[in-house]
Formats: sequence, structure tokens, C-alpha cells
Amino acid sequence: MRRARRLRAAAVPCPVRAACGAVAGTCAAVLLLAACGTSAAAGAQAAGKPSGHGPTVKIMARSLPAVGTVLVTGNGYALYMFGPDNHRSVTCTGVCAGTWPPVKLPVGGSLAAGPGVSVSLLGSDPDPDGGRVVTYDGWPLYTYTGDIDSGQATGQDIDLNGGDWYVLRPSGQPLIPSPAPPGRPDRRRPARRGPAAGPCCWPGAAWPWARPGPVPPGR
Amino acid sequence: MGAAGTGAAWALTGSSAAAPDPESPESPPAPSAVVPPDDDLMREHGVLKRVLLCYREMTSQVQAGGSLNAQHLHDAALVIHDFIEGFHEGLEEGFVFPRLRQAGRVTGTVSTLLLQHARGRVLTQFILAHATTSEVASAGPRGELAAAMQAFVRMYEPHEAREDTVVFPAFRQLLSPQEVADLGQHFADLEHQQFGQDEFTAMVGRVAAIEQALGIYDLTQFTPDVTAYEPPH
Repeated sequence: MRRARRLRAAAVPCPVRAACGAVAGTCAAVLLLAACGTSAAAGAQAAGKPSGHGPTVKIMARSLPAVGTVLVTGNGYALYMFGPDNHRSVTCTGVCAGTWPPVKLPVGGSLAAGPGVSVSLLGSDPDPDGGRVVTYDGWPLYTYTGDIDSGQATGQDIDLNGGDWYVLRPSGQPLIPSPAPPGRPDRRRPARRGPAAGPCCWPGAAWPWARPGPVPPGR
Repeated sequence: MGAAGTGAAWALTGSSAAAPDPESPESPPAPSAVVPPDDDLMREHGVLKRVLLCYREMTSQVQAGGSLNAQHLHDAALVIHDFIEGFHEGLEEGFVFPRLRQAGRVTGTVSTLLLQHARGRVLTQFILAHATTSEVASAGPRGELAAAMQAFVRMYEPHEAREDTVVFPAFRQLLSPQEVADLGQHFADLEHQQFGQDEFTAMVGRVAAIEQALGIYDLTQFTPDVTAYEPPH
């Protein structure tokens, strides 16, 4: 299994902190900012060597109602993994990424881990829509537009955009509920799934389709 | 492209549903020109509205003590799951809402719409999980499904009306003519990438088949007799 490239960085202040709260929860390109730590974070664990000038994307752990302790952004928004990513690559792109904005690692940015989060499990993978997406134990990390406020995990155990979505424990383990007992319908599972596809989404100031970058074939 | 893009996958699987006449005016022609993004979203709302009518009909049948066909319900919920929640709402969440928030327009409404998308997905997951022959045979689960459909309809009727009359016009005002053209083309490209060519036509046919199975396809049945309201001669 291919593992995400490990990034080593130091905790540095997020230079775009003011933008973090403006549109958090809505767009992939902006959600990377929502993941920024609000400071070098006293007590935070540095995740490798400094890149120099870029913002820091901080991954935290927090106890949320109904799901317990899971990974969250620096702003406290729940982070999710997507089954079809298969522990190794970003497959939620295009329209899918509109609903599930990936946590982007800005060019020159660095990663930081909050208390209880393993630095060694942090990394990043290329995003077919452009840039890189932060990973944890190989899982690309996404937020959910349905989480209107921090501290929610309304996307947990949803089947949407071609696969299942789960929050992640700090161990890197997805929180997958037990299957229904034999003879009972699985209340969690729609019978068929739609595909995820296409380049996405509103990037803030620029139109995404004007941005050069590969579009995965057949998606 | 996923399996959902195949024509066969769109076909109603229930035995009682006849396929819509492909020659009928019901089958819209494939658009030859780029549709502006807000128009495209409103056109997709038409599909949503027709599924809401299906939900309403099935709810009424249950509340009148009638039965509920699990296949028809499942087919209708799949249209919502695949097309509305898995595509249409992704366009809104990826392109429309962020731009409005960025511009400080209708931000409170956008937050409500996002929350309603999430709640709608919960209802759809519930409906899909319970739309089985064994469950609809029991009054309890059948009533729960009817309540879920009713809640879905109650939420999405004002939801889409507000988007059509307030949110999309506000979004359109933010776009330059070039952006309208570019985004319209991009929406079309995304649709083709996800579902293949003529997807919208196939989706309309899929909903029409459910309507036929439910006996609400024939538009003439909804034309009222207005004799009692005509002025005396």
C-alpha cells in the first residue's frame, strides 16, 4: 500500500487566519484555511521541519457528541475519510469536493499536530483538482458542508458521492459502526451509490477551471 | 463514469411501471447551447419537484390507509440520492454558496440551506434503508417512511422556492457575462463527466416512469372542472 508522503514541518502562525472564519465549512479552497491553527499553538506537537513561509495546517483531536474523540481541524470542524480513497489517494473531486471540501495543504505550508494526534501519521497527497490534500495514516482528510458549526459530525456514516464517510480516531481508525445483525436490514446503507466526479470548486478568488491541472480520466 | 451513468441503471425496476414514451413531449431535447448556471440549477429543481410530488402521492396513499410500494419509493429516493444530493447540491455547495458568502450576500439563508441539505440526506438514508418489501408491509415502518417523506417535502418545497427566487438571482448578480458562460459550461462538463451524455433527459425519464407507476403521470388529470366558478351567462 502506498503511503502518503510524510511532510515535516514546524508549527508556525497561520498568515491567513483572518480568512479562516469567513467561509469555513463551504469550500475546499477555503477550508484549508479553516484548518489553520490559530497560533503556533502552545503545547502542539510540531510535525516536521519548517517550510519557511507558508501557513500551518493543524490537525487536532476533540471529543464530539455521539462519536467521541475524533480528528478535527484547527477550528474544531470534524474531519472525515472517504471509503473509495482506499487509504491512499484523493478520489473525491469535482462536485463531490463541493460537499466535502478537502483539507488543503497550501504551497509552502506546513503541518502541525495537536495533543493526542500523531505527527508520524500526518502527510499529504496530490489532489487531482490541484494542490495537495492533508492525509492522516494515508487517508485524505475532508470536512463536510453539513457541519454548520464546529463540534458537529453530521456527516458521520453517510453514503454519498459514491462512497461511505466516517470520522477518524486519533489512531487513524475510521469510526465504522457495526453492521446490522443477520436478518435485519442495514439501516445505514442505501442500496446503490452514485459516482464522484469532476474538477471542483469555488476557490475563493479564482475560477477553478481556469487553473491548470490534470483532470482524472473517466471521472 | 460510475454505473449510475448507464441507461439501464436509470430504468425503473418495478414491474408495474411502463417506460415513458420517448417520442412524447415529456422527453426534453438535449440542450444545444450552454445553459447559464442558475438556469441549470433551476432546471434540476424541476426534477426535485417531481420527486416531491411522488413522495406526496405515496404519503397520501399511506395516510389514507393504503399500501406503499417499496420499489417505487426506493426508485424515487435513489433519484434524490444520486442526482439531487450527489450532484445538484454539490454544485450549490461548491460554487454558489461560497461565492455568496464571500460577497456577504444572503449568508444567513445559505447557512440554513446547508443545514437543510444535511438533514435531507439523513432522511434519504433512512428512506433508502427502509424501503424494503418486508418493512413497508408493517404499519409501523410504513408510517415512519411516510413521516420521513412528509418531512422531506415540507422542507424542500420552501427550500427550492427560496433558492429559485432569492439565492440564485443573488448569485447571478455577482457574475460577469464571461463567468456566466464559463460556469455554465463547467456545470455541463461536470454533469457529463459524472453521468454521461443526455443525463438530464434520462433523469426526467426515470422520474416519469415512477410517476406512471404511481398514476400521477397524466397531466390532464390535474386540470380542474371550473364549471361552478364560471360567471353566469
